[in-house]
Amino acid sequence: MRHKRIFSTLLFAFGVAALSIAGLARAADSDGSDAAALKEIRSEMRQMREERKHDREVIRSLEIKVQQLESKDSKVETTTQQLQSTDQKLKETTLELQQTNLQVKTLQTKVDAPMAASQFGDAFDSYLGSRRFLVTGTFQGSFQYDKAAATNTFVLNWTPQINYELNKWTYFVGQLSGSIGANGASTFTMPVASMMMFLNDYAELYAGIFDNPFGNWYEDRSAPWVNRFATAPLPYDGEPVGPPTDVGAQLRGGYNWGSLGQDVDYTVWVSNGPSYDPSLPTAAIGQTLNAFNGVTLNTNGKAFGGRFRFYPIPLAAEWGRLQLAATTLNGKWQNDLWYNAWGLNLEYQKDALSVYGSWLTAYRQMPVGTPTGHDNRQGWYLEVDYALNQLAAKMTMLPSPVEQFLARMLAGVRYSGVNQRAIVASEISTTPAPGFNGSPSIFSPHAREVATVLDYYLSPAIVWQNELDFELPQDGGSLVNFGGPAGTTPVYSPFGTTHNDRAFISQLTVGF
Amino acid sequence: MKKLAIVLMLVAATVPIVAGSCFAQQEMSKKEKAELFRKGAQLWPVYCAQCHSPRAPGDYASYQWDIVMAHMRTLGNIPPGDANAILAYLKGGS
Repeated sequence: MRHKRIFSTLLFAFGVAALSIAGLARAADSDGSDAAALKEIRSEMRQMREERKHDREVIRSLEIKVQQLESKDSKVETTTQQLQSTDQKLKETTLELQQTNLQVKTLQTKVDAPMAASQFGDAFDSYLGSRRFLVTGTFQGSFQYDKAAATNTFVLNWTPQINYELNKWTYFVGQLSGSIGANGASTFTMPVASMMMFLNDYAELYAGIFDNPFGNWYEDRSAPWVNRFATAPLPYDGEPVGPPTDVGAQLRGGYNWGSLGQDVDYTVWVSNGPSYDPSLPTAAIGQTLNAFNGVTLNTNGKAFGGRFRFYPIPLAAEWGRLQLAATTLNGKWQNDLWYNAWGLNLEYQKDALSVYGSWLTAYRQMPVGTPTGHDNRQGWYLEVDYALNQLAAKMTMLPSPVEQFLARMLAGVRYSGVNQRAIVASEISTTPAPGFNGSPSIFSPHAREVATVLDYYLSPAIVWQNELDFELPQDGGSLVNFGGPAGTTPVYSPFGTTHNDRAFISQLTVGF
Repeated sequence: MKKLAIVLMLVAATVPIVAGSCFAQQEMSKKEKAELFRKGAQLWPVYCAQCHSPRAPGDYASYQWDIVMAHMRTLGNIPPGDANAILAYLKGGS
């Protein structure tokens, strides 16, 4: 546009210059024709001005058209960009829809698939919350026969155990035990009421009333469905070497020191210490410890115990599981009078074979004036059990029902004994009770027992036990009676002849 | 005796701190879970049979095994890693 304008201006200037030169030339030739020429020039100039004006208008018009075209082009560009943007959005939306569709399909597959048991368990756990109760326990009902005591009787026991989990590292356990004995009397006790707290991977706090960890039997094997026999071995029976239950606090834990299966564990505790039969007028040699759950809250003394167990065989060796253990319990049983006890334990399992054994000894300092010195008591037992399931598997010639019957059976034999200096006459009991066959021969200074059992397992925790006991006490020792003017002075006399005895127990035990 | 009581009180006082860290939930991969389950299946018949006939995984519900195993871990002084493996096996099969 500007070029055209410049060009027009130059053309006009050139025209004017040319006419001027022509005019001057004519002026030189003739003055008369000058006026006409000037007029013509003026006319031409006017014409040129008009033409220029016209050109300007044309240029103006063209400029407007160009502007209009430029504007239209810009609009087209904007529209194109908008179209591209819309297309991109459509692509993104399509992708999102495809992803959503895939998610919906995945969810549908999950919803349609049956829930795994573990998933349901987790969901149910979450529903129940962290504080939970669980009732476990045992029932035992038995028929008991003893030849010497001439008893044919029934004994029932029901011991529910209430477990309360406060959180993942704290829980409580309480047992309420109810029994009906041969004399028709009902007894209700609370053998266990304790709190457990896992402090870390190596230590646990256990406080309250607990089965005594002195030895393994009370704590690990005294539950009726756990014990393969209906009765307890003699060192844990009517004349126990250590207190069955106690009140106090324990610190305990286990550690894997080698390959899988090679463990070591410890239990140390402080407790109220042993308490003895309170029905006697005064302490006497041979006085029995308080029975199961005979916890005396105030014994005027404390005891300190320890138990250390060692498992040397790795699981991968497939040589079975062996446990070697040592245990001790020391303290005051009354005022300044000492009680010292220690023992060794052995356990071994391989396939169908189980072996259990203990050797325990206890020494009790007697009050000044006791005529025959101090009290001591030793006990031991060795038990061998064999599950017949593997035997049944090998006897392929047997009919299937017989094989299945044998596969549920376990046979066991146990030898146990207690040595002590005397037996208190008034403590001899012939009343059968859960875990006690009622034989008077058990209350001998040198009691010995051979027990055999044949168990039939209806399920792992429901067992019908048939036990035959042979009581074979040895001679020796003293019998304690109380005499004197007030009837409170212990009088020691030879125990006299001991008698062998036989007892039979048939018992159904349910662990739940 | 007083010293022992003090020690026990100190132990009790540290429980929330110690236990809180010990029992922090740890996410496990599928491979780790499978390995734990396998270990538990190996330990279950051996450790349980030490005292009694091993109870089948189906005897208790998953949440109940938590409580049962806590008690068994106490009575058997079972190392925690082994107890967790047995628990994983029992819960996995319940």
